[in-house]
Amino acid sequence: MSTYRVEMVNRDGQVLVVSAEQSILAAAEAAGIALPFGCRYGVCITCAARLIAGKVEHSRTVALKPEQLAADFVLLCVAHLRSDSRLQVGLESQWELYRNPWRPTI
Amino acid sequence: MTQTHTPCCGPGYASPEAAMRADSEKLLYTTALYVGSDVQAPDYLATVDVDPQSPAYSRVIHRLPMPYLGDELHHFGWNACSSCHGDPGRSRRFLILPGIRSSRIYIVDTEEARAPRLHKVLEPEEIKAKTNLTAPHTVHCLADGQVMISMLGDGEGQGPGGFLLLDERFEIAGRWENQADGMRFNYDFWYQPRHNVMVSSEWGAPRTFYPGFDLADVAAGRYGRRIHFWDWQQRALVQSVDLGEEGLIPLELRFLHNPESTRGFVAAALSSNLWHWSRQNGDWQIQKVVDVPAVEVEGWPIPVPSLITDQLISMDDRYLYFSNWLHGDLRQYDIGDPLHPKLTGQVWCGGLLGKSGQVQGHTLRGGPQMLQLSLDGKRLYVTNSLFSTWDNQFYPDLNAAGSYLLQIDCDTERGGLAINADFYVDFGKEPEGPARAHEMRYPGGDCTSDIWI
Repeated sequence: MSTYRVEMVNRDGQVLVVSAEQSILAAAEAAGIALPFGCRYGVCITCAARLIAGKVEHSRTVALKPEQLAADFVLLCVAHLRSDSRLQVGLESQWELYRNPWRPTI
Repeated sequence: MTQTHTPCCGPGYASPEAAMRADSEKLLYTTALYVGSDVQAPDYLATVDVDPQSPAYSRVIHRLPMPYLGDELHHFGWNACSSCHGDPGRSRRFLILPGIRSSRIYIVDTEEARAPRLHKVLEPEEIKAKTNLTAPHTVHCLADGQVMISMLGDGEGQGPGGFLLLDERFEIAGRWENQADGMRFNYDFWYQPRHNVMVSSEWGAPRTFYPGFDLADVAAGRYGRRIHFWDWQQRALVQSVDLGEEGLIPLELRFLHNPESTRGFVAAALSSNLWHWSRQNGDWQIQKVVDVPAVEVEGWPIPVPSLITDQLISMDDRYLYFSNWLHGDLRQYDIGDPLHPKLTGQVWCGGLLGKSGQVQGHTLRGGPQMLQLSLDGKRLYVTNSLFSTWDNQFYPDLNAAGSYLLQIDCDTERGGLAINADFYVDFGKEPEGPARAHEMRYPGGDCTSDIWI
């Protein structure tokens, strides 16, 4: 079974070792790292993170729109590593996903 | 203490008139959230002291954290209400507290009213396996010991969802509805047993509203605009009314408290208007009775809707209150002439229009949202969080500031609203970090929980 390393760049560079079968969220929980989550099946964005480098399989993602996928957002509850990777995690990685449609884009 | 159980009777009150004569509320429960914030802690049920004579007045006096992260506690309800008043064997003791994002359902025991404790947990896997339902929302007890919960999605987060039944031991009893043809989405519901009717409204599918609000989803028809009238005994949808482009996202539904009445009101959040329904010659008629115009904000490309996200009716059926979450005002209407509600009070509690002041030195962030009214109609409570992802879109500063819980004094003689300057619950100062407060209930019943059979 392959395992990969993921570095959480905004968690003091903490490194997590994740098997290919495990979601990144489940691996973080098993390691005692508290990351945000909600639905746990890819339809909400509470666990969204930004892939800075590396390869992730996340075909079960429902909640991300094409432009958000293109901006390298991943949902950790349904994301599996396919290479060593680097992620920005937590709410501070997510603000680009939250836009008030009435307010002009700055 | 508010009377919840007497030797002669079951929970609640014999009538709305009797409820209005109950003692004033002394405790208030509200759900408080960390989901969607940068605090990784479980959501909790807060007990707030609302007794002006108490040294702890206007403070959180107890917190019951849930055993899991990520639930998004939202709405909640009782195991029994005035619908069981005639049964001395029942009591209003257990709160049913769903997590709308996790689809987990908690049962909380309030035997010790100030310090509720966790009684039971229904896991989302079991609910999905037995009913293929997710995203629990409104809770009402039925008059037979069962509890019914509107469920907004299926196991894949798609609409239309359905209705979950729990039995007296809070075990999953199955789905309530027998026939739901024509229902596209689900949200709130209320029933009026003397008229054998249940009415339900439409938000959207969880996979649409969970990630946040997108105008493209409205354009694609992925948000609701229908009101459904059900045969309560047959559990069948009998009439659906399409409110059209003027009735987008109908949310909270309230029948008048008078159990003889077929009148009720629903607010369409996005269209920002209020609709009245009643039964005429066997048919349900619905018409728009209040419009809140969108407002131009300088430099913004399109006018901003008020977004009516909650509404409720005073126990004497005289006043209706609603909150404009984006504009920031909270309104009182005299509904003595229900087809022509008259604006009698308005107060600003935050909002995007910048018209709000401060309370006890606190800038009011977010906008007025969930409402609860005292049984005597004089004290209106309001919190400012809507839904974690939507909060983050429209009021990102709630993340660091946390919620307010305010109390508004209602003039029930001449009409009028004023913020009570002696009351401010600051959820920004909670021990685990800033939290967001949502729905509120009192131990003795309130203006959105009780139904008379």
